[in-house]
Amino acid sequence: MSYKIPMGPYHPALEEPYKLDLICEGETVTDAKLHIGFNFRGIEHLAETRNYIQVIALMERVCGICSNIHTLTLCQAMEGLTGLTPPPRAKYIRVVVAELERLHSHVLWAGIAAKLMGFKTMFMTCFELREKVMDVLQAISGNRVNYSMNRIGGVNRDIEDTQAVLKMVEALEAEMLRTVIPIFTTSTTARSRCAAIGTLTTEKAVSLGVVGPVARASGVPQDLRRAAPYAAYEEMEFNVPVEQDGDVRARLMVRALEIMESCSILRQALTKMPSGELHTGTEKFNFITGTATSRVEAPRGEVMYSVSWKEGSRNPARVHVRTPTFVNMPAIRWMVLGQRLADTPLIQASIDPCYSCTDR
Amino acid sequence: MTVLDTIPEKLGSEELWVDKGGVQWLNPGAMTVRELAKAMNALHARFITITAYQLPKDEGLRLEYHWDLDGQLLGFPFKLEGNKIESIFDLCEAVDWIERETHEGFSVEFTGREYEPLLLREGDTTGVNLREEKK
Repeated sequence: MSYKIPMGPYHPALEEPYKLDLICEGETVTDAKLHIGFNFRGIEHLAETRNYIQVIALMERVCGICSNIHTLTLCQAMEGLTGLTPPPRAKYIRVVVAELERLHSHVLWAGIAAKLMGFKTMFMTCFELREKVMDVLQAISGNRVNYSMNRIGGVNRDIEDTQAVLKMVEALEAEMLRTVIPIFTTSTTARSRCAAIGTLTTEKAVSLGVVGPVARASGVPQDLRRAAPYAAYEEMEFNVPVEQDGDVRARLMVRALEIMESCSILRQALTKMPSGELHTGTEKFNFITGTATSRVEAPRGEVMYSVSWKEGSRNPARVHVRTPTFVNMPAIRWMVLGQRLADTPLIQASIDPCYSCTDR
Repeated sequence: MTVLDTIPEKLGSEELWVDKGGVQWLNPGAMTVRELAKAMNALHARFITITAYQLPKDEGLRLEYHWDLDGQLLGFPFKLEGNKIESIFDLCEAVDWIERETHEGFSVEFTGREYEPLLLREGDTTGVNLREEKK
């Protein structure tokens, strides 16, 4: 006999609302239906009522984890409409903050995944590591959530003490190699909870158009930092970790390896950072009529902004945001099919969902 | 000749690509969105999104379809007659949520498919992103 279990909108594992109706035969999931929209704030519509300064502050609030990525993508699009190119130092600072954000997002996710596996010691370890990254972000920007780093034509703040950031990178890298990666790769608990669970095949990943670590864990080697470099990524050397298994363990491994790559990118950006201006100046911006688009590789995958402007206007005519979770979340339905009901919270968490981004 | 240069001919279009705002744009001309989706599938392009624009005054709506081809963002604008356009959901399953969101935000009817509420709830009025409230 089949029965339906509604999971959510108060999620048992993640502190954001969405709902999954699971159809089960015994303990096995045979179908699932997703319901989102509990966080729908109409931000895109609201953006049309904000001027070019206010809209940056507004879009920074689309997401509480990758807030910097949203302003980076928006500012890059608006730079396309104003014809401004940020100075080299600003591009490097954008890379540093984007990678710090990736670090804290991935470490946060590793902690939550550990907690869902019943591995609370690892949860505490990961959150202690994340605090180190958050401290650096706070030292740079004065903020822990919305850093207000990006502006049209550059960045608002400099990174004066690059040595302090490098010190944190070294400490994080050492701890990842000493505890987090060995435990996640060799522990029986991690293996039994993650291996061959919530598999998304390469074919399905391509068909659904999933992005970021979810795609890379299913053997799809896409990363905009490599395929369509922005900011100063063209000058960075790094690998794009790809796993073939498509299960929760593969998603875990991709993110763990990406933490190491982020550390490498940070080291390069901080040591090679050129001196110079932080932005193009304080003159009034002249927007041309038209649409500009920008894409950035956020911690969860590709973010795309389409911004439309009418010459002479202070407000955008349209701001459209395509977030990574919006395209990754439909994959959950395919990941939970045939899986045990008890594994579904971890499977859902394995895409590192952001409902706030998804609903906007 | 790049892969990009060969696409207009494959699509049966005499238009040329226009590089603007970070996107390679191609006017689809007489091509339908379903023909375009089939052509993009044949090229193994990755569907990205649909962006809906409400045009000034009573000029209606424009939908911009985006695909990624080896890191290059491609854009195809479609001006809507009324508020209807064919769905490509059966050709490209990645389009499901964005067609539903565009339906709810701009009251666009994607013909040939069924909807379930996405961001709104059953019975809610669609068109929440339109400038004027839908009567």
